[in-house]
This record gives sequence, C-alpha cells and structure tokens, in this order.
Amino acid sequence: MKIQVNEQPLELTDNITIEQLLIHLGKPLIGSAVAVNQSIITRTKWTETIINEGDKISLFQAIAGG
Amino acid sequence: MLSDAELLRYSRHLLLEEVGQSGQEALKKASVLIIGMGGLGSPAALYLASAGIGHIVLSDFDSIEVSNLQRQITYQSDDIGDAKVEVTKRKLQQINPEIKVRSINKSMGAEQLTMELTMADLVLDCTDNMESRQLINKACVDTKTPLIVGAAIRLEGQLMFFDHREENSACYHCLFPDSEEQTLNCSNSGIIGPVVGTIGTLQALETIKHFVGLPSGIKNKLKIFDGKTLDWQTFNINKDANCAVCGKG
Repeated sequence: MKIQVNEQPLELTDNITIEQLLIHLGKPLIGSAVAVNQSIITRTKWTETIINEGDKISLFQAIAGG
Repeated sequence: MLSDAELLRYSRHLLLEEVGQSGQEALKKASVLIIGMGGLGSPAALYLASAGIGHIVLSDFDSIEVSNLQRQITYQSDDIGDAKVEVTKRKLQQINPEIKVRSINKSMGAEQLTMELTMADLVLDCTDNMESRQLINKACVDTKTPLIVGAAIRLEGQLMFFDHREENSACYHCLFPDSEEQTLNCSNSGIIGPVVGTIGTLQALETIKHFVGLPSGIKNKLKIFDGKTLDWQTFNINKDANCAVCGKG
C-alpha cells in the first residue's frame, strides 16, 4: 500500500492505524498532531482510524512559542 | 457615532465598503483581551490600537529583556527592565489616544481569567507556553468567548480561530491535547522576527474582520506557515466529541 507522509512516498504492507504509523515512524505521540487528507484526526481517534491506500498524511508538532 | 477626529484618523478604513462607518463603530465598541506581549502580541496590539479597537486589555507578567528586542517590535533599548504591559500601554495610547487600554501586569489564574473573559468580546492567545494555552482555551470554551490562537517557532507559524459562541466549534484541546511542556518555544528553539510577526499581524487582521462582520476563512482550521518557502498549509479541525474540554470528555 502506497501513502504519502509529509509529501514523501511511503510503502506500507498492512492497513495500520494512525497510532501504529506514528510508532512505526518513531514519532513521539505527545505533542504531535496528525492530518489525513487535510483533516485533523484528533487524538482520541488515533487507535481506530485506519490508513487507506493513497492517503496523504501530515505529521507536525504543537508549537507554543510566541 | 464617530467624532470628526475619528473620521479623519480612520479615513482609510472608511473608504472600504468592507469596513465603512458601521464597521468602524463596531471596532470602537469592541473589547479585546491580548494575552502575552511578546513577538505575537507586539504587532497584534500595535495594529489593533491603530485600527481603533475601543477597549484593549493587555496581559503579561514579564519585563523587557535585551533578547526580546530582536522581534518584539513594541520595545526599544531604553525600555529594558520595564514591564511589557506598561510600555505597550504607553505606546498604544501614543499611537491612538481615542481608545482605552488597560494592563494586567501578572500571570492570571483561571478565576481572574474567567472574570476578564466575561468583559471581553474576543481573546488573542499570544502566549509562549502550553500550560497558558490550555488554560486560556478552557476559559474561552467555558465562557463561549471567540479565541484566535497564534504560535511560532524557528521559521514556522501556526494560526487558528475557534469561535466558541458556535455550538459545534472545535477547540485548541481537540487539536493539541497535551499539557506537558514538551513543546518547542522561542527560548529553546529560536525564532526569526518576521515569522512570529506575520502570525501576530494575521491575528490582528482576523480580529478586525470579526468585528466589522467579514467572514473568517480560518474558523475550525489550522493554518501552518512555512517561513522558508512562504507556503501555507490548511487543515480542517472537527470538534472531537470526546474532547476533555469542549466535548463529553
């Protein structure tokens, strides 16, 4: 299955959840935000949201500076 | 009603059909609380005072340090050591004596914040830490106060607008539920002045649009600004029904 993560192609073998993807990529769960096809997936849905073929995933960090 | 002096001062607003006299009167009636007088709050406060927001309340507990001057454009070298809110208040009154400015020279707890929000029509979160951001978001949800959030670090900026008067508004906690201070800030990561200034300026623009009755294109959206490419990304934020702050928890 081919997806994009922050505009870079990524090949995945199985349908995995958002949380599994973050763990797979070694990303921190705390302070992270995730969007699939430009829509934010809120934290409570990370374990139930399955990534599909062709999804464009955006990963980014909360920033607090000002 | 606007005085002759105000008609002259705001003539470039009055030329715009999007503002006009009714829009300018709405700005005059508006009360805005700006929390954090750093790199975001500096341009936001200067523009809102210039634009004629009738009541501006400034909150910060910091004094001006030399390292602030690289980006916090309200301040100058001989202000070092003075309270940010007092210097900002003085500058805003110099720019526009037609408006009222009040300063809160301390870190507000939940109780005082809630009391201030009952008097504010809109809040700008211009703070520099996650704990304050979560506190402000919760108080805005509780009091149904519109909240425009800005944040910036290095060459990246983030901008959000949560109109808590609307039943289905998402909130900051839906997007960023962590209160732990593991996030990046200006003191540990660095920041380029015009990046944070861009975000603070857009917080002011959204505020002016809100009061003159122009629709906002960023409600329940996260805009991310890349200072390297000048590209913007836009993400939709749906209210999280299970959000601990605005949902059922």
